[in-house]
Amino acid sequence: MPLDAIQLEILWNRILSVANEQQTALVRTAFSTIVRESLDLACGVFDTRGQMIAQSLTGTPGHINPMATGAIHLLNAYPADSLEPGDVLVTNDPWKTAGQVNDLTVLTPVFRGAQIVAYLSNCCHSPDIGGRILSAEAHEVFEEGLQIPVTKLFRAGKPNAELFRIIRANVRTPDETVGDLYAQTSSNAVAARSLLELMDEFQLETIDPLADEIIARSEAAMRAGIRTLPNGRYEHETWSDGFEAPLGIKVAITVEHEDIHIDFAGSSPQSQRGINVVLNYTQGYASFAMKAAISPEVPHNAGSFRPVKVTAPEGCILNCRRPAAVASRHLVGHFIPSAIFGALVDVIPDRVLAGGADPIWMSIWRARWPESNRSSNFTLFQLGGTGARYGKDGLNATGFPSGVGGVPTEIFELQTPLVQEYRCLHPNSGGPGRFRGGLGQEISVTANCNERWSVSGMVDRTKFPAAGLQEGKSGSTGTLEVNDKEAIPKTILWLEPNDTIKMSPPGGGGFGTPWERNPQHVLLDVIEGYVTIEAAKLEYGVIISCSARHDQLVRLPDCYHLDLEATAQFREANSPT
Amino acid sequence: MNPRYRVGADIGGTFTDLLVLDDASGRFAIGKVLTTPEDPSQAVEEVLCETLAEFQISASDVQHLIHGTTLVTNAMIERKGAPTALLTTAGFRDSIEIARETRYDLYDLMLENPRPLVPRHLRFDTPQRTLADGSERTPLDTPFVKQLARELFENGIEALAICFLHSFTNPAAERAARAAVKEAVPAMRVSLSSDVVCEIREYERASTTIANVYVQDLVEKYIRKLESRLAALNFAGNFYLMLSSGGIATTETTLRFPVRLLESGPAAGALAAASYGKAAGIADLISFDMGGTTAKICVIDEGKPLLANEFEVDRVYRFKKGSGLPIRLPVIELIEIGTGGGSIARVDSLGLLKVGPDSSSADPGPACYGRGGKDPTVTDANLLLGYLDPKFFLGGRMSLYPEKSRSVISEKIAQPLGISLEEAAWGIHQIANENMANAARVHALERGKDPRRFPMFAFGGAGPVHAYRIAASLGSPHLVVPLGAGVMSTVGFLTAPLSFDFVRSWPVSLELVDWDQANRLISQMEKEGTSLLANSGVATEEMVHHRHVDMRFIGQGHEISVALPKGTLGSNSTEELSQEFQRVYAQIYERAGPPVPIEIINWRVVSSGPNPQVQLRTQNAAESTGEPLKGNREIWMPERHNFQSVPIYDRYRMQPGFRFSGPAVIEERESTVIISGTSDCHIDEQYNLRIQLEAPHAP
Repeated sequence: MPLDAIQLEILWNRILSVANEQQTALVRTAFSTIVRESLDLACGVFDTRGQMIAQSLTGTPGHINPMATGAIHLLNAYPADSLEPGDVLVTNDPWKTAGQVNDLTVLTPVFRGAQIVAYLSNCCHSPDIGGRILSAEAHEVFEEGLQIPVTKLFRAGKPNAELFRIIRANVRTPDETVGDLYAQTSSNAVAARSLLELMDEFQLETIDPLADEIIARSEAAMRAGIRTLPNGRYEHETWSDGFEAPLGIKVAITVEHEDIHIDFAGSSPQSQRGINVVLNYTQGYASFAMKAAISPEVPHNAGSFRPVKVTAPEGCILNCRRPAAVASRHLVGHFIPSAIFGALVDVIPDRVLAGGADPIWMSIWRARWPESNRSSNFTLFQLGGTGARYGKDGLNATGFPSGVGGVPTEIFELQTPLVQEYRCLHPNSGGPGRFRGGLGQEISVTANCNERWSVSGMVDRTKFPAAGLQEGKSGSTGTLEVNDKEAIPKTILWLEPNDTIKMSPPGGGGFGTPWERNPQHVLLDVIEGYVTIEAAKLEYGVIISCSARHDQLVRLPDCYHLDLEATAQFREANSPT
Repeated sequence: MNPRYRVGADIGGTFTDLLVLDDASGRFAIGKVLTTPEDPSQAVEEVLCETLAEFQISASDVQHLIHGTTLVTNAMIERKGAPTALLTTAGFRDSIEIARETRYDLYDLMLENPRPLVPRHLRFDTPQRTLADGSERTPLDTPFVKQLARELFENGIEALAICFLHSFTNPAAERAARAAVKEAVPAMRVSLSSDVVCEIREYERASTTIANVYVQDLVEKYIRKLESRLAALNFAGNFYLMLSSGGIATTETTLRFPVRLLESGPAAGALAAASYGKAAGIADLISFDMGGTTAKICVIDEGKPLLANEFEVDRVYRFKKGSGLPIRLPVIELIEIGTGGGSIARVDSLGLLKVGPDSSSADPGPACYGRGGKDPTVTDANLLLGYLDPKFFLGGRMSLYPEKSRSVISEKIAQPLGISLEEAAWGIHQIANENMANAARVHALERGKDPRRFPMFAFGGAGPVHAYRIAASLGSPHLVVPLGAGVMSTVGFLTAPLSFDFVRSWPVSLELVDWDQANRLISQMEKEGTSLLANSGVATEEMVHHRHVDMRFIGQGHEISVALPKGTLGSNSTEELSQEFQRVYAQIYERAGPPVPIEIINWRVVSSGPNPQVQLRTQNAAESTGEPLKGNREIWMPERHNFQSVPIYDRYRMQPGFRFSGPAVIEERESTVIISGTSDCHIDEQYNLRIQLEAPHAP
């Protein structure tokens, strides 16, 4: 099949639309709020050799890349000749797929007649998979829940009833966990329908040559992006709170013409607790960061991974050995992109972010409604601020590097007997800089129940703030408090009915010298309450006064006065350099 | 003589279109003038007077004037609404900024989040708290609200949105706050989230409520001005507006919920397609409307456009989905993509040809307009391919310059790709087609519809030029192009029944539904519908109430729409509804759902008056006599890889029963139909051009 640029564009778009339909069907049929509200998922189309050709628009790199490289493991366990129409495979093997047992990968062969012409796969985070409540407390993966080796979830269209019974018996949320598996199956089935229509319409016997072309072009474009970087070795180190002790993530990036090698040698050894990262996941976030920095427009598929080689010594925190506990691996893995950007900032300052909140804040809320047998097992995601960019401020309360989203307060309160006291942006939490880091947020939660309840708060950056770049300052650290006292992250916190828990994901780091921030922009930040008048002076050297009465509720922009002359003098006299 | 004429008017970004129709004879007149953004009612008056004069009637002969506008959409995009404040439950004033916390593009590090219509300094934490079960935890601080209202008013803020948590379950606190505001400042405009959109998810609900009050003043001033202009012309008929849902409503309803005017123009186009399809005996079709900047595609299923419950306005970052403000209200579900006549073509970093979504808009416009446009556009490509006649653009009222198209396409597309000028032009045309075909395909399939089953109905200024190939690519059995395709939206206004939508949020497990309560809820909504319709002059026997529910498996977050059984509901409705839900679910999602109970979330009634039939039949006699064949010209035939001389027909001279074969070009003033294949064509009894398509083929 000879393909010219125009035919290729047409077919490529069609394959992308197949992946997007796959995601739409998944979100619309999913049960857990993790998938349907927070979009902790990935969907992709694969050729007959298990190479990913296309992924849906959103989702999360921690799923997409490990799913992409993991398909081959499922196909090794069940080669094409062991599959029949209506079969659906499933696994949650952390080392083969997305690095934790809660992430279930579902893969469906697409039959055209008797022939397999493609595979469709998706991966999402299950609300519960048994074992301990998701936390970082386990010492071995066996404590973290049911492990499902590559197995047929459906055989010739019929559910694997015994497997479903085993799953139901092991999990706290049987309807949600099983409901999501059905949604994952529907999602692939909907995409298969479209893919087959496409093949009929274009009379394609196979999509493999198309896959080769797409992958080759993506690889070439990625390599072209790499060629814009000067050859050299770039290093950086960043720190995570860890569990027992802080963890160092050390990265060395070697650029050689059109190849990149990212190595994590020198990073901390693997932990005794559930924050270890499998190599699959490390590779996922490292190649994601590289692509986002140098070729964001290149479609993401097997070709865009190829030029980026990612290694980490076996037994280190980023390449843990079985049976290490891995449930909260995102708390370490999500630091990888900002470590990489830190290494590259002097080479491509205009294409990276300052450090941000990085790990998503994920918490599991268990509580029982008063006078009822009904209890909640709710997974809440919260996002802090993203790092500032060269030319743009960071984004407030927006995920990075994960694309996962939050949960509406009304949904949270409907599905738990809990009450959010507030959920608001956290003033002054964005790292000062010529471009300011995004603001973190603050929530406070109490219970509307009469027995003990628990929160497992998988959070980080409570000790090490998001670093700024190029003289930009750090964002605020996050805080986790029970009744205004510091609580221990990554463990299950048991609370009394009247207790209050406060969680404040951190702010993003700034970019460039704060003293060089346009005073008018500082004024706008003060008007909007992102930055206080005091911080405007202290952090930015900008002198602003407010003429509003003390008890005045409405403070329009004209209440605030920027004193440019005083600002110039103050900045001159107190220049940080 | 009783007033019997009907008028449809559409205010677009560039042009204001108007149609006067005599239902009895099918005679019509079309007017088109430039929009007057400072006072849009001026252009309406101008084009109305012109067109009525052409028809030799006066405004007092007009029975109904139905009207749609992009005014609301533009006010939101250009941020020209009233300065607006927001009251939220204390602690939650940032809900509209925290929004969903996702990134809508995973790889793009330069993303921007949508800008809320209310800046943070005008969002106020209001002491008050309602819990998820509707109970009051903290009462409203009334003195605070009064004080705030007074201060806002003193500071020139005259619009206020109120969105408290869980108000969709218990609206009491929002109502009490409005009462307090009105007591302190009677002139303050107030919109309550529980009135505007009574549904769960505080961000989307607040965003919609804010939009409503943000545009209210603007819409009211405009409507009042237009009413007084009409009164001065002795217009004494009914004046209605079209809503996003495709229904039409009185000015009073519209003024309460002006946000419902969003996208009313595109909605009208979809309705026109539905109505024409019905008249031609085609209940299922794909409506395809391509203008200068965007193309709108809508699936018409069983004679009706599909409806959705949410869309986005003002996408701030590269038109990307997710970068706009969410608006939650019933809307004709159409997909609008950045492919129009003015869309710009370029070669991207992968060496691939891309078209749109950026547009050359009206100024400078495509290179061939000769107004300084330097980028190759779809219109430039069409001109080089012979699909447009440089001497007959807008019936010859505007000249085009093909040499300018040739030079920009050569320099920016053909040379970089190393292909011929014709190949480049065809490439642009074809990629534009594929963008639109893909959008149509995804749009149809996302709704579980098979595009190969659907004939295509094409209109809009640029639609008929592209429709033939798009329809072929979708595998459509045939293509229908109506008379007056260039101004079809105005026809849509005249085909819409008076219609009102009602929704009640009552989440309940299907097993536990109290059917007596359900009957009461539905009849309450039907009663409201009946009274609104009666006030608009609809006879009781002509009223229709459609009842449906949003259902899902318990635990899911998204619903599918299922029709309720007819008549009084009772215990056997449970099983009937359960089966219907399972059937619809498996049809859309390919697999049966899990063994989990089912629930109903929202109960909906749509109350409508009769469906007016509209048929444009004849132009005036002078134009419609004579031989349809008016000449020949060369158009690009991709399969031959060359130009070919094909006949040109005058659309106005083609009478019902006229038959011919493609390839051919059919011209009318506002649009050109290109048939670049050997199809059999004819004009049907409704004056539609019908084109049979060959077996589907790859483009």
